Amino acid sequence: MDFTEEQVERYSRNILLDDVGGTGQRKLLDSSVLIIGAGGLGSPAALYLAAAGVGTIGIVDDDHVELSNLQRQVIHFTSDISRPKAESAAEKMRLLNPGVTVIPVMERLMAGNIVSVIKDYDFIIDGTDNFPSKFLINDACVLGGKPFSHGGILRFYGQTLTYVPGSACYRCLFQTLPPRGTVPSCGEAGILGVVAGILGMIQASEALRYILGIGELLTNRLLYMDQLTVEFRKLNTKPNPNCPVCGENRTILEPVDYEQPACSLKEGPAAKVNL
Amino acid sequence: MKVTVKLFATLKKDYFESREFDCADGTTVRSLLDSSGIKDREYHITFVNGRHADRNEKLKDGDTLSVFPAVGGG
Repeated sequence: MDFTEEQVERYSRNILLDDVGGTGQRKLLDSSVLIIGAGGLGSPAALYLAAAGVGTIGIVDDDHVELSNLQRQVIHFTSDISRPKAESAAEKMRLLNPGVTVIPVMERLMAGNIVSVIKDYDFIIDGTDNFPSKFLINDACVLGGKPFSHGGILRFYGQTLTYVPGSACYRCLFQTLPPRGTVPSCGEAGILGVVAGILGMIQASEALRYILGIGELLTNRLLYMDQLTVEFRKLNTKPNPNCPVCGENRTILEPVDYEQPACSLKEGPAAKVNL
Repeated sequence: MKVTVKLFATLKKDYFESREFDCADGTTVRSLLDSSGIKDREYHITFVNGRHADRNEKLKDGDTLSVFPAVGGG
């Protein structure tokens, strides 16, 4: 377990932790996490995972930085407006920690490419802003046996659930997408920036603790957060035998695209999954 | 039988935060919320006594039904 002097110094506060130590830091350096969405959730997750020394971090986004993003997407700066989000995020992560490998992916994840994008990563963070992507990521991760963290935010509220093979998946709780037009978009409903920050960091914490094998993950528990009342509530769940992707009689055998941008910042063509 | 309904996030602003309902035996999650005026498409997930429950689950006296809207931003 060799570290350079620079690594020992950089990661000393991690290494000092009994539950991390040199062994844990080596696990982090040898691990890989894919963050899907370099937005409100992905920004804090990307910064903290790079800072912690997760050795390889993929960051997926096909969108460009807009002025209205900067209120919460803290990895992007004013000078980044119009730049590809994945490129902007990768630059900051490399500046923060040149010792980690950052792989920007400027692609829209669809049923046709998601399997190949996620396959080399140990853990996936869903930081997308729409239901079609969330269901696509869930299905691809469940079918591929990939642990992942689901996150969703709106206004002052957030929710997160972690999946590992055998635990309840996102679809065990939410069998189908909400009907089109019934959920306001982030652009319509608003989002307090810190809500994204808090929830994205909880997702990053799940990734770190999964890699380190410490503590208790948010598996079989949906964490619901209300930042108006600063209430955190864990709600118990379990694998649903009728779940179409992980239940006893599976009907979803490969990732599929959905035609319903329910919470995207832009009203794109209905058939597209807007990350 | 008596069932307490707790609404979360936007639902509690639009309807109420917590209310006790007197309902008939056999009342389900869906039928209680229907009769409360909360439309099917306005909520996304329901828990009974802190455990995930689907909309067809029958309620029992003393149950607490927690109701959440969809939260899908990022």
